Order: sequence, then C-alpha cells, then structure tokens
Amino acid sequence: MNRRSFLRTSAVLASGLAALAASLSPLRDLGDYTTLDRFVQKYYKELTPEEMDKVLKRIAADVERDYGIRPHVRDLKPMDGVQFVYALNLTRCIGCRKCVHACVNENNQSRTPEIQYIRVLRMPNGSLDIDKADHNYAPESVPEKGHFYMPVQCQQCKNPPCVKVCPVHATWQETDGITVIDYDWCIGCRYCEAACPYWARRFNFTKPQIPRERLNPEMAYLGNRPRRQGVMEKCHFCIQRTRAGRYPACVEVCPAGARKFGNVLDPNSEVSYILRTKRVFIQLKEELGTSPRFFYYFDV
Amino acid sequence: MDERPLPAGPRNRARTAWVLRGLVVVFLGLAAAFLLKIWGQPAPLTPIPLVDRSFLDTATVRRSYADLVAAKEDLSDFDCYGCHEKGKPPVLRYDASHNLIVPPEHSDIVMGHGEHGRNNNCFNCHDETNLTLLQTKDGKALKFQDSPQLCGSCHGPTFEDWEVGAHGRISGYWNRQLGPHKQQQCVNCHNPHSPKFPSRKPAPGPHLLRPPFALPTQTADAN
Repeated sequence: MNRRSFLRTSAVLASGLAALAASLSPLRDLGDYTTLDRFVQKYYKELTPEEMDKVLKRIAADVERDYGIRPHVRDLKPMDGVQFVYALNLTRCIGCRKCVHACVNENNQSRTPEIQYIRVLRMPNGSLDIDKADHNYAPESVPEKGHFYMPVQCQQCKNPPCVKVCPVHATWQETDGITVIDYDWCIGCRYCEAACPYWARRFNFTKPQIPRERLNPEMAYLGNRPRRQGVMEKCHFCIQRTRAGRYPACVEVCPAGARKFGNVLDPNSEVSYILRTKRVFIQLKEELGTSPRFFYYFDV
Repeated sequence: MDERPLPAGPRNRARTAWVLRGLVVVFLGLAAAFLLKIWGQPAPLTPIPLVDRSFLDTATVRRSYADLVAAKEDLSDFDCYGCHEKGKPPVLRYDASHNLIVPPEHSDIVMGHGEHGRNNNCFNCHDETNLTLLQTKDGKALKFQDSPQLCGSCHGPTFEDWEVGAHGRISGYWNRQLGPHKQQQCVNCHNPHSPKFPSRKPAPGPHLLRPPFALPTQTADAN
C-alpha cells in the first residue's frame, strides 16, 4: 500500500464511520424507551426477591429523576384465600364520572394524551343495548330523566381473552383474580386491546404526561407506577390499594355508594351478600364466556 | 492493443469501491438531515385541562349531626329550645290541600320525604315532647346520632343492606384485619326532609381530539 492509497482509504473510512455515527444519533433518544437495566431485566415471575428489590429501586430512582418525588414502590403479592369481585349497582349510579377521574388520579394515567380506565355509558331506560350507549354525554346535571348509566372498566375476566393472545406473556391472571400487565415486558403489539370485548385496555401512543403535583407516590410494580411510551395499561382493581387491604379509589369516591368491592370467598363481605341476595342480572357480554368478576346488579 | 476486459478480481474491487463511496455519501446525507432536523420536530400536543379537584373529593354529599359533633362545630341549628318552649309541643299548621306550612324560621327545610306528600308530619320522626330527640313510629326515642335506626324502622330492607355495607358508602379497608373502615350514615347522603339523592354536575367526559362532526341536518323538503 502506498502513501496515497493509505491516505485515501483512511479518509474514506473515517468520514464513513463519522457519518454512520451521526446517522444513528436518533437512537440517543432510545433512553426514553428502555435503559440497559430494563433491557436485561428478567421476566416478572422469574425475578428473585433480591432482583425485585433492585428493580423497585431502579423504578423509584427513575420516578424521582422524572418527577422530583420519591415514590413508595412495592411489589404486592396476592393474599391467600382472597378472590376479588366487584359489584356495581345500576340503580344507584348517577353518571357523575367521579370514578373516572379518581381512577386517573390514583393510577397515574397520562393526562395528555388522555387515558381513562373507566367509561361511563349512558343508555335509555328499558334496554341494555350498547349500540344506543353514549359516553360523551355532557348535561348540566345528572342523573337525566329517562336514562341510566353503566360504567365499564376492565371486567377482570375469569377466562380472559387478552391473556390468551399476548405473544410474550406480559399479561396474566393472578391468583386473586386480577389480570395484571408487566409494563417492562410488554412489547406494545396491542393484540390484547383487540381481543378485549370490553374496550378496557389502553395504549400509550406517546410518552405519558403526568403533572408533578398530581403524581400519586404510593405505587406498585404491577399497578400504578408510571408507564412508558409503547405499552398497554388497564384497570387493575387499584392493586396498590387492594392488595394492602384497602378499597379501590373508585369505590371510595362514588358519591352514591353504587360501587362495591371485596373478597368473594369471605361470606361476610359486601360482595358475597350482594351476589347472594340481590338481582345480579348480568355479567356484561355474558354470552362470550369470559366470565367477568365484575357484576352489575339492581336494588329491589 | 489487447481488448480483453479486465480480469474479474480488479473489476469487482472497483465496483466495491464505488458502492462504498455511495454508502458514505448516503450516510453523510442522512447525518446532515438528522443534525439539521429537516423533517422537523413533531408538534407538541395541546395540554388537556386538568380536571377540577372537586371531582376528586371523597367527601359525602352532606354532613350528619354525628359528624358535626365529632368535628366540634357549631351546633346552634340543633339548639331547639333556644326558640321553642320546653314541655309545649309545637303546633303544626296545614294549608287547604293538607300540605304542611313550613314556618319561616325553618325555611331551609324542604318537605319532600315520600312521593305523595303523606309523610309531611314533623312528628313522624321528631319527638314532639322532646325536640332534641327522634322517635320511631312505635314511639321509641332515639338520639340524633342514632338516626339510622329511625330510618330503618320504615326502610327495613334498605337498612339490612346498609348494615352489611351493601347500601351506602364505605371507605378504608375491605380487609377488616388490616385496618379500619368507615361506613357512612343515611343522613350523610340523604337529607331526611327530602331524601332523594341530589343531582349534580357531571365531571368532564372523554376529551374529544377534534370537535364532534355535526351531522348534515335534513330539512323537510330535502327529497
């Protein structure tokens, strides 16, 4: 190799490498999607307690970096002898949508773009025709004459179609009946969204935006820790509250007391009493065989 | 001159060099494009207004006498004998169609208990001989704090539901071993004088990304 060809080759090589590096520069933004720690993290069910501790610390550090608030992140496991059931009294619901916003506030959903787990359907009295349902109603005051309201959220099916279609097992049903999502394992293919007959699953199309002053620092790994762009999320019965023994946020905020929650294996719980004595008339779209743990009932 | 084409080796090498040069140019072009951001940045989303905090409030619709006592608040409204005379039951007056005439001193009371106006006798619930007490239909006296018993003396099935927590509001812990729970009384949500649950302004619905399209209006002579 003579001097001229050496110089030419090295010049071409250097500029080629520089150009390659520069053209890959958009990958610098990849940090929003994943970090090395998250990328090499194991599957939720394979994490040892020590590894889980590290993961929780990493999540806490991420939240503190992004929001300046030190969160309390836990990985809460299902309790023995507990099967959660939800019962909603259609006679009492007044359609005020307080549950929708209490849920958003509790579970750190994105405010822009908006993600809400609960959709309140307004339907004309005398039928239960979802084709006639409207969820954009905006009257001066509710309830309106001639209508009833039916809030729909994840039904926590006993036979969940969303779990069946997940190609990477990022969503599964836990022993207490809650279908959970590992946001670090989800690949964002949205199959589950398509499979869900209740339109209960939501996708983060962009980076979720939560104002700092509305961030709920009480977090759970499978629950309300902030999500990232490109993952699915949905109602998880406020896992960070209910697995610590508390009622979900939507139950506590309902001004009409239409929402009831509890352990169906406990014969003294409200939900057991309701299922025994009330006119529990539907599981929504019962004919699909999904067997929801969410029951709608009537008084009288 | 020898017109034979170049041997395969040098010819391929020359082609490779051209391809490499081409790639360098493409990458340089891409690099320039990315650095200059010629495709522009995605437009930032317009922030959706945050929901008013009043919709996140878990307080009950109204406060019961027991709440006011617990919070040590002004109970002058319940000081019956500040105005009434002891041992002298107040006289009720009715208009021609047998509706109770609410005296101006009690103008804040709307009588609306029951759909047919038949429950318009104050002393169905209040004890006329001792106004600081309540009384059931069969004459059992109750304190204001114990009003659910009074409501239950007529609304039996609802009372049973309430006792197990199936009617009304509960907050706190569903797991009674792990913590306390708070059950609200009837009067935390129902005004005993007009118990129908009050209507209210609904919280905003889902944000519409674009204004709803107006359907073309059909006029009568459109055909």
